[in-house]
Amino acid sequence: MTDILDILDIEQPSASEVTRDSIIHGDKNKKKYVTAKTVRRPEGMHREVFALLYNDNKELPPLLPTDTGKGYKQNKAKLGMRKARKWVWAPFTNPARKDNAVFHHWKRAADEAKEYPFAQFNKQVSIPSYSESEYNQYLKSEDWSQAETDHLMDLCQRFDLRFIVIHDRWDRAAFRDRSIEDLKERYYNICGILSKVKTNPWSNTVTLVNGEKRVYHYDADHERKRKEQLKRLFERTQEQIDEEQMLIAELKKIEARKRERERKTQDLQKLISRADSGSNTLNTGNTNDVSNTPTNAANMSRRHDRKLHKKKLSSQQRPVRALEAVTVEWSGIKFPEARGTGVWLRSQRMKLPPGVGQRKTKAIEQELRLMSIDIAPTPTEAICKHFNELRSDLALALDLKNALASCEFELQALRHQYEALNPGKTLTIPPSICNTSTDVESKPVGEIIDVVGSPSAVNNTI
Amino acid sequence: MSGPNGMLYGGDEIGALVFDPGHHSLRVGYAQEDTPKADIPAVIGVGPATHIPDAEQKVPDGNVTQSGTKTGNELRHYIDVTELHVPRPNMEVQTYMKDGQIENWDLFEKMLDYCYTKVIRSPSEHHPALFTEAVWTTRPAREKLAELLFEKYQAPAFFLVKNAVLAAFANGKSTALVVDAGASQTSAVPVVDGYALVSAAVRSPVGGDHLAAQAKNMLNSMHIQMLPVYSIQSKEVIRERERARYTLKTLPAGLTPSWQQYMLKRQYEDFCHCIAQVSETAYDERTAAVVPGVHYEFPGGYHQDFGPERFKLTECLFEQSLGAPHLVCAAASACDADARPALWGSVVACGGVAALGGWLERLAKELASRAPSSHRLKTHAAPSPAERRFAAWIGGSILASIGSFQQMWISSQEYDEGGKGQLERKCP
Ligand SMILES: Nc1ncnc2c1ncn2[C@@H]1O[C@H](COP(=O)(O)OP(=O)(O)O)[C@@H](O)[C@H]1O
Ligand SMILES: [Mg+2]
Repeated sequence: MTDILDILDIEQPSASEVTRDSIIHGDKNKKKYVTAKTVRRPEGMHREVFALLYNDNKELPPLLPTDTGKGYKQNKAKLGMRKARKWVWAPFTNPARKDNAVFHHWKRAADEAKEYPFAQFNKQVSIPSYSESEYNQYLKSEDWSQAETDHLMDLCQRFDLRFIVIHDRWDRAAFRDRSIEDLKERYYNICGILSKVKTNPWSNTVTLVNGEKRVYHYDADHERKRKEQLKRLFERTQEQIDEEQMLIAELKKIEARKRERERKTQDLQKLISRADSGSNTLNTGNTNDVSNTPTNAANMSRRHDRKLHKKKLSSQQRPVRALEAVTVEWSGIKFPEARGTGVWLRSQRMKLPPGVGQRKTKAIEQELRLMSIDIAPTPTEAICKHFNELRSDLALALDLKNALASCEFELQALRHQYEALNPGKTLTIPPSICNTSTDVESKPVGEIIDVVGSPSAVNNTI
Repeated sequence: MSGPNGMLYGGDEIGALVFDPGHHSLRVGYAQEDTPKADIPAVIGVGPATHIPDAEQKVPDGNVTQSGTKTGNELRHYIDVTELHVPRPNMEVQTYMKDGQIENWDLFEKMLDYCYTKVIRSPSEHHPALFTEAVWTTRPAREKLAELLFEKYQAPAFFLVKNAVLAAFANGKSTALVVDAGASQTSAVPVVDGYALVSAAVRSPVGGDHLAAQAKNMLNSMHIQMLPVYSIQSKEVIRERERARYTLKTLPAGLTPSWQQYMLKRQYEDFCHCIAQVSETAYDERTAAVVPGVHYEFPGGYHQDFGPERFKLTECLFEQSLGAPHLVCAAASACDADARPALWGSVVACGGVAALGGWLERLAKELASRAPSSHRLKTHAAPSPAERRFAAWIGGSILASIGSFQQMWISSQEYDEGGKGQLERKCP
């Protein structure tokens, strides 16, 4: 900025801003270099070369270093960007005081006298007041004398309704000891009565709702009960606390176990319902298409029976939930239908969707190998379709098998638990719900799958 | 006080003085400063003025205030260490404190004279005076103090605050359970919204003085002699635990027992400050033995390492029913149930003994095992030993320089009109 002013030869206003220059040169007016006198640049001389020439004031440079000039140390350092403003030790009065006492404090000389700023923080709670006759007319109480009431109101005023402090400073020599609840009850009672008979609305105990006075009602009995409970809570012994902790931990464990069991039941329900929906359509739909071996049908019905049994078992445990938990949801494998536009390979359709896990994929491939089916057959339209359906059914079959195994395991576990808790007794599980493990294994997988197959599998023939 | 944009900052200093009279020392200084200007021992040497000090001890009579008449039994009062710690014949050491409050008003006046003339060096009429007081200070003592300040010292304004409240303020709390481990006693005082709950305050006579007495017993039983430091002319450098070799000074005759005892007590205190350490859990010989010892050299030149003794010594501060943890629990349970969670949540420790190494940690640990587990427990104390010791003074310094406090002072006008009876109302 200064440079531009210099160039344009504009007189600078005497700077109130402190700059580095004004610190170094002090208040001394900046010496203007008289450049007018200087020789003009000779024709043909390059500007750069001319600039190298010494031309300050045309004085010779000093031969010896001198220390007479003003160095840094002679100057008063100026801190901040403005000139320091004066402070004075000035008297003031505080409107928050009733006595006009004069104190002194530092203030800027330039600041005009105004009201003491901290006076605005002088806030007081307003406490109802009553005259002698008002007291006699409205506030008489069996339990409280007027002197005691006066004392209470005085303390309320002095301690701004901090009842804990009021209780602490209660004059126990003159009056009998009272609980905080007693004090609060009396105070709010008085507020209530006075706000009805007097018009002045004070403090926070009265609010106006739709032009109607609402008086804060203090429920002393409730408060007493609450405090009693709080006290008991705080005064528990370590044993009691430990016991409670132990019980809470136990409760958590039980709940966790319950949740686990429910989860398992639900999983099972899902699978059963899936299987059921499969076989239902099978029964209602084209029965003629049912697989040709009657033994299979019998097998099927037995399996179905057994499943129903299980269902009953679980529904006995949680009758309502178990019924609700039946979600009719097909979860074999859902192959995405249409691809995006454009040309695509049909083999794409045989790719298992990403939702199918690694383990399931492996297991399906294993099953396919067992049935000696190519795991990547030539994807004609028909093969594609049937191959996908086959794998979908396989997935369901695997789920069912797993569920069965876990139910079996649980059954055995429960039996062991039962026997452990009732030593000497044995739990005989009726064979109808007991999985004679040969049952599934002996059956060729293909047959089961045929029966429990998806509706589309039934309706379609190659 | 107020910023450029009309913001109002909290402070407004009016040149007030803060006095914190304690059993060990009196702290005095200007409000708004962070440490007291002076920390003066709370005892005064009273001796005959006829005594002319030895040539080498002659100091300009700066710190000596004179009283009495020129004739006959003139008495001189020796205040502050430079005067007090000089051996003088027939100088008795007296204290003006008793049971946490000022008792000997004549002596205390001498102390105030000293404060105004030698520490503050400014007329008392110019400075409002804020005094701290113990929670259980009796009404006559409070009124007497107000009377003294207004009538003798012409203070423009006066105020009294409970030291527990100020210690809480110094730690940035308005609600706290303040444990003050001072020289003559340890106390626990609940403070709610800036008001001390007087009826719930508890105290025990275990403090720094007790610790010093224990140190004396311990050294006696170890057959280590604490020679008065002023009696040693010279001493030789010796090996650890070797017999001390020193020459004694010739002392003026007629040194009083009270003065000698006072000097020895200071030495035992110094010994405590140097070596005493509080173990984190109750004293256990084996764990204490693992901690490296601390070396201490006695005035006679004898020196040795102190190991487990360091921890054993301080166990007296944590006795079952007298120690600070017990006091805190007693004070808390004397409070209303509604106030307790907040109190347990901010236990504030202050006082000189709280500056002992490990003291705060031990307190926190013991409280954790005693406090009802339904409360969140938190223990606070200023980080530096000086701030702990001066907590009450610092709180006073903060309070007296807050703008909105300036309406609280009892001014001399008010005193003239209302007398000292208003003290109970104005300084709750
Ligand atoms: N750094 C310290 N370590 C241990 N104790 C100390 C320390 N400083 C002071 N003390 C002790 O604290 C006591 C003084 O505490 P203080 O709170 O000043 O008491 P009072 O308020 O009664 O004057 C003395 O007994 C002193 O020995
Ligand atoms: Mg103290």
